[in-house]
Amino acid sequence: MTFAIDAKGLEKVYKGNVAALAGVDLEVKAGDIFALLGPNGAGKTTLMRILTTQFKPTSGEAHIFGLDVVREGGEVRKVIGYVPQETSVWSDINGYENLLIYAKIYGLPSRSRKEVIYDMLESMGLRAAAEQLVKTYSGGMIRKLEIACAMLIRPKILFLDEPTLGLDPAARIAVWKKLASLKMEFGTTVFFSTHYMEEANAYSDEVAIINMGKMVTSGTAEELKHSLRGELIKVSVSDHHVDEHTLGLIRGLKQVNSVVVTDATLIVTVEDAETALPGVMDVLRSAEIPVVRIATTKPTLDDVFLRYAGTTRAPGAASTTERVEEEAGGDHRE
Amino acid sequence: MMELELRRLRNDRTEVYTRAVQPVLWLAVFGLVFSEIHAIPTNGIPYIDYITPGVMLQSVLFVAVLYGLTLVWERDTGILKKLLVAPASRYAIVIGRSMSSGVRAIIQVLIVIPVALLLGVSFIPNPAYFVVALAILFVISGGFAALSIIVASLLKTRERFMGIGQALILPLFFASNALYPIALMPHALQVVAVFNPLTYAVDAVRGLMITGNLALLPLDVAVIALFDILMFAAASLSFRKIIE
Repeated sequence: MTFAIDAKGLEKVYKGNVAALAGVDLEVKAGDIFALLGPNGAGKTTLMRILTTQFKPTSGEAHIFGLDVVREGGEVRKVIGYVPQETSVWSDINGYENLLIYAKIYGLPSRSRKEVIYDMLESMGLRAAAEQLVKTYSGGMIRKLEIACAMLIRPKILFLDEPTLGLDPAARIAVWKKLASLKMEFGTTVFFSTHYMEEANAYSDEVAIINMGKMVTSGTAEELKHSLRGELIKVSVSDHHVDEHTLGLIRGLKQVNSVVVTDATLIVTVEDAETALPGVMDVLRSAEIPVVRIATTKPTLDDVFLRYAGTTRAPGAASTTERVEEEAGGDHRE
Repeated sequence: MMELELRRLRNDRTEVYTRAVQPVLWLAVFGLVFSEIHAIPTNGIPYIDYITPGVMLQSVLFVAVLYGLTLVWERDTGILKKLLVAPASRYAIVIGRSMSSGVRAIIQVLIVIPVALLLGVSFIPNPAYFVVALAILFVISGGFAALSIIVASLLKTRERFMGIGQALILPLFFASNALYPIALMPHALQVVAVFNPLTYAVDAVRGLMITGNLALLPLDVAVIALFDILMFAAASLSFRKIIE
């Protein structure tokens, strides 16, 4: 099977020996929406610019649908669309004209040009604004116009560098709806970088986290959250002392990693709260301990991000991450 | 790419007028004053007629050499990155961009002409000559714009570019036959003028529009073509560097 992106050992060293990428391996399946996460300066943009043939890696290789980004750059550019982080449309002409200029640069046949442009405007919801100068567009409209530009050649893969940076929540949702519809309509693979964890969580099929120029982990958002092995079950018991024997029984359960008692609350760390809960409840019930309240806490992708890429954390910040960090130990998926 | 420039200009014409101020002043002030004092030998034609092609070329030179600024701006936005990722050859992009400065340049020239007519400059009333002259202005503009792209690719920022941009325009303009015959210059400057492509463009346009002396036209065209080819090739090579 040919991967949409297949990179091995990518390295990029900038002038002055600044290593932006230090050996990146990456596989992206065709048709996936793939999120690249990482702190500022982790190498997200560098990776994207190598994959879009803007410059060559110092070493290593990468293929886009089997085409080598260094040796077959011209061919690669025919199958990719790219939306850079910065604004990439001319603001002193209107939306239709922007698409027209790009259509001409891309060499779209003149017969179908107009139709393709109006189709694209339609599917991006910009039909009504087509004749307005781009100066008057909102941030979300500009993004949609840029995506429309990139989609003119119906690329097999669309690269987006922080597509929703600086957009309000409504505009972000609108942009994502459009991107998801592109996947549905054209089967376009989407590769995007972002700082917004919830976007990666909600819209991506797979997530990879890059830090200090290296891929630190990848998988589906669910897999990554599971990999922390840090879901919590909190059981409040009514002024009842939970004896050591019962605690021992709970600790002995297969899924349980640790148990802590504070006041009248049991905090049980497990891999998966939903499947572990019945076992814990059985033990408590047979010990005849009345349960007042049960809560489960699942790690979010934020926790995953901080776990793998977090370098600074405010001391005393109360979050699941703290405990997860202590208890999950070094045992995590690569 | 040329269409892009036209469409942009249609939406904001102010730039066309502000850029026209300088050449008009050259003609109206410098040209008229020197016509009166007859300080420069011009083979019997009025001095203002003599410098009209020079002033047109100066307009062209300004537009073209500062064209790199547009690229520097596009570099700061994401447009250049997107162009480089487009499935079009980089040569086509460079040549397209260079030539689109010609579109702006020709518009400037078309503004200078009626002003020159008002000031009493007599053009040769031959449409064919006129069209060829415009074509030469258009083509030389492409070469200078390509030079500007090279500079922009190497310098990358607006501030650095402005410094060099001005420093390119003035010697190109003064070390040419735009304002006075080469024979009047000191020897060192004459050498520069001989290697200055602007000299040949001025000669060609002056011959076609004012004097009717076309003796050197084939040489002029050859030099301009060679200059363009060299500049396009060098700009295509350096263009990649601009985004790094």
